[in-house]
Amino acid sequence: MEDDSDYEDSYVASDVEDYPTSEDGDYGYDPQTEPEISMRRAAYTVLSEEELKLRQQEALQQVMQVLSISEGEAVRVLRHCKWDVNRVNEEWFADTEALRDKIGLVDEQPTGSGRRKESCGICFDEFWVSEMHAAPCNHSFCRGCWKGYVHTAISGGPAVLSLRCPLPDCSAAVPAALVTAVSDPKHREKYHLYSLRSFVEDNQRLEWCPAPGCENAVEALHEVSNEAMDVTCRCGSSFCFNCKEEAHRPVDCETVKKWIIKNSAESENLNWILANTKPCPKCKRPIEKNQGCMHMSCSQCKHEFCWLCLASWQEHGERTGGFYNCNKYESAKKRGDYDAESLKREHARVSLQRYMHYYQRWAENDRARSQALSSKAEANDKKLEVLSEFVATPTSQLKFILDAWAQVVECRRILKWTYAYGYYRFGDNIPDEDTAQKQQQGFFEFNQGQAEMFLEKLNGVVEKDLDNLVEEFKREPGLSEVAPDGSVFVDQASSPERQAVWSKFREQLIGLTEVTRMHFVKLVQELEKGLDQLLAFYSEQPEAEAEAEVEPAAVSTAEASGSATPAQQATAKAPKRSKRSRISSRAAADKASNSAAAFSLQEADSELEAEAGYWQCRRCTVINRDLNSQSCSMCAQNRRGPISAS
Amino acid sequence: MDAGRIQKELKEIERDKKSGVSVQLNGDNIHRLTGFLEGPKDTAYQGGYFVVDIKLEDQYPFVPPKMRFRTKVWHPNISSANGAICLDILKDQWSPALTLKTALLSLQALLASPEPDDPQDGVVASQYIKNQPLFQRTARQWTEQYATRELASQDDEKVLSITSMGFPREMALTALESTHGDVNAAINKLLESC
Ligand SMILES: [Zn+2]
Ligand SMILES: [Zn+2]
Ligand SMILES: [Zn+2]
Ligand SMILES: [Zn+2]
Ligand SMILES: [Zn+2]
Ligand SMILES: [Zn+2]
Ligand SMILES: [Zn+2]
Repeated sequence: MEDDSDYEDSYVASDVEDYPTSEDGDYGYDPQTEPEISMRRAAYTVLSEEELKLRQQEALQQVMQVLSISEGEAVRVLRHCKWDVNRVNEEWFADTEALRDKIGLVDEQPTGSGRRKESCGICFDEFWVSEMHAAPCNHSFCRGCWKGYVHTAISGGPAVLSLRCPLPDCSAAVPAALVTAVSDPKHREKYHLYSLRSFVEDNQRLEWCPAPGCENAVEALHEVSNEAMDVTCRCGSSFCFNCKEEAHRPVDCETVKKWIIKNSAESENLNWILANTKPCPKCKRPIEKNQGCMHMSCSQCKHEFCWLCLASWQEHGERTGGFYNCNKYESAKKRGDYDAESLKREHARVSLQRYMHYYQRWAENDRARSQALSSKAEANDKKLEVLSEFVATPTSQLKFILDAWAQVVECRRILKWTYAYGYYRFGDNIPDEDTAQKQQQGFFEFNQGQAEMFLEKLNGVVEKDLDNLVEEFKREPGLSEVAPDGSVFVDQASSPERQAVWSKFREQLIGLTEVTRMHFVKLVQELEKGLDQLLAFYSEQPEAEAEAEVEPAAVSTAEASGSATPAQQATAKAPKRSKRSRISSRAAADKASNSAAAFSLQEADSELEAEAGYWQCRRCTVINRDLNSQSCSMCAQNRRGPISAS
Repeated sequence: MDAGRIQKELKEIERDKKSGVSVQLNGDNIHRLTGFLEGPKDTAYQGGYFVVDIKLEDQYPFVPPKMRFRTKVWHPNISSANGAICLDILKDQWSPALTLKTALLSLQALLASPEPDDPQDGVVASQYIKNQPLFQRTARQWTEQYATRELASQDDEKVLSITSMGFPREMALTALESTHGDVNAAINKLLESC
């Protein structure tokens, strides 16, 4: 078949319409509940056991009609052709006899009179022919022997789906109808299960959801390649269609496989890391991490520190270069006077240390993701209702809290895999002269760090800040307070003071959710496009071309936005020359600065802000709509400078 | 297991004595039988009398009988160490319409036409391919030395000497198998486990 992409597109589109489930909007991807960030979106649909049976029946009916064969024969043909109806037609019409021969389809043989006795070829007893059963080859055996034959085959596993006549040298296929007619309900059920499993497992476009207890399957609506494809089942679990591991984009399947093998190989060395407690870096008392956010505070000495790098939280973000950087891996500096043996030992230690750095962050984010998932469920189950009363707002309008949690869950997943990516992408020691590698690592780690910083902030706000706020509301309850002089009701919940506090929190959380999402979009884009290409795009593209590429998009956005949201309008209004000016200013700075990577990070940042139409204060997180201002309207924090103490 | 079918199979084998194969029941236990077959003519096995242990599972005849040569045989598809057999109809090509008789006849056919490409015993198979005369000599030597009616009946006498002490025939067979035919060791073993 010609690989014409236009044809492919229309084929997929019409295919989609044929499926009843997709008309209900029943795709795995639902922007309302899953803040999916990956750029390449997969077309797929989730099928329940019932829907799978229907789909299987459809395929059978189609083949029965086109080839004018019985259902039993259609099952055989389809199984042979991996349930691909097109392939059935091709193979059948290419050489019908050869195919029939290969899969054991024989013409129905005359049965003769049932009113005579014959000896059963298995138990050697005599039976009336009318009481015996046979495949289309008409080799008769008694019912009891058929039952024993079929039951033994079913107990033997899915090979029963290719069962042949018991007579040696007869290769006639035993029809499913005969199998089910002679077997007891328990075996019959098992046989049907094998049949359905074959439909899914032999079919390239279908995969079972790997979540324990889930009986759904996911169907790809296009030709499948062996690239990573994240899908989300109706049961809520996400997995990669290609490799069956948990969803891992933007990282490829190969990296995931290597990483998982690596982890199991290193697991003994790492057991101590998995311990839930670490000593407080100040008072050395053990501290248990029980929330998802990495911003820890010691319950004893109140010292605030980062769970990952154990540095004080205040210094966090400004110690090096003015940004959140505990994601960075600095390999240990080698001193010159090592002998060969200690050098070897040192190398082993360093490479284990390097691995542990990445592993620890991978594992912590994995754990934080699970915590965020249960926190989201907890918020949905009870917290929102409590809050609803405190702020006199229906729970339907508190959904932004669940959105924030969903964002945390998705971001933790992505962040986690970027650490596996980082481990393999950049070697133990990049030589100083490999500036391209160094630059790429710097660029990647900066964006990872930025994304991580916003995620930590978002996690902290939706977790701790919200809890604190609720505690505060609890202390001044008075849903209906009785004044001392009589029955005057004071509705604390809808008081202007509380409403102001609440609306500020709300705006902050919504803004933070969006900014975090954008940082992750950027990170994912980077990994999917390839760091080298992206950096090349920033540094080498001629100005005229860059402008030509930016302008039409901006114009069409502006034209299309009759009723655009403020953010969209901001995007449209974003200065069209921004990329050009940034590129030229970057070229200038490149000469002056020896930290090109750090610079491109700021560039990346401004671009993101221009897209969003606002910049967010890194200290108080308030949204600043004025893209030209350099200090926060709320706290006067410098837009790019180190975070100042309050 | 269908005892009726086993009885019919035994009756049929009894009736057709010319076939060169026979089966003997070991007491009341229809799960353990002993098969006998004559070496095929014009082969290195001619004149030999081979004993085969047969075990039947409950699902027989829907699963194949388990067969193993008790007599030592030099053959590419039969283990020279323990008599295990590599033959398709005793594995995935088994059909419930086959019988002990057809299986033993297939073993006879296997003796006549070895399949060195699907070997059970690598040493024998490579000798078969590389040095046919040496293979023929060794196979004939083993046949003359081990595949005799005397040894077969001695074997039976060993069993009898144990069963006469009151042990069931099946236990006697198992004990003899584990002591490689040493009657005294087998008896000691049985007495220890009492
Ligand atoms: Zn029968
Ligand atoms: Zn048949
Ligand atoms: Zn599922
Ligand atoms: Zn994958
Ligand atoms: Zn402390
Ligand atoms: Zn840190
Ligand atoms: Zn601020």
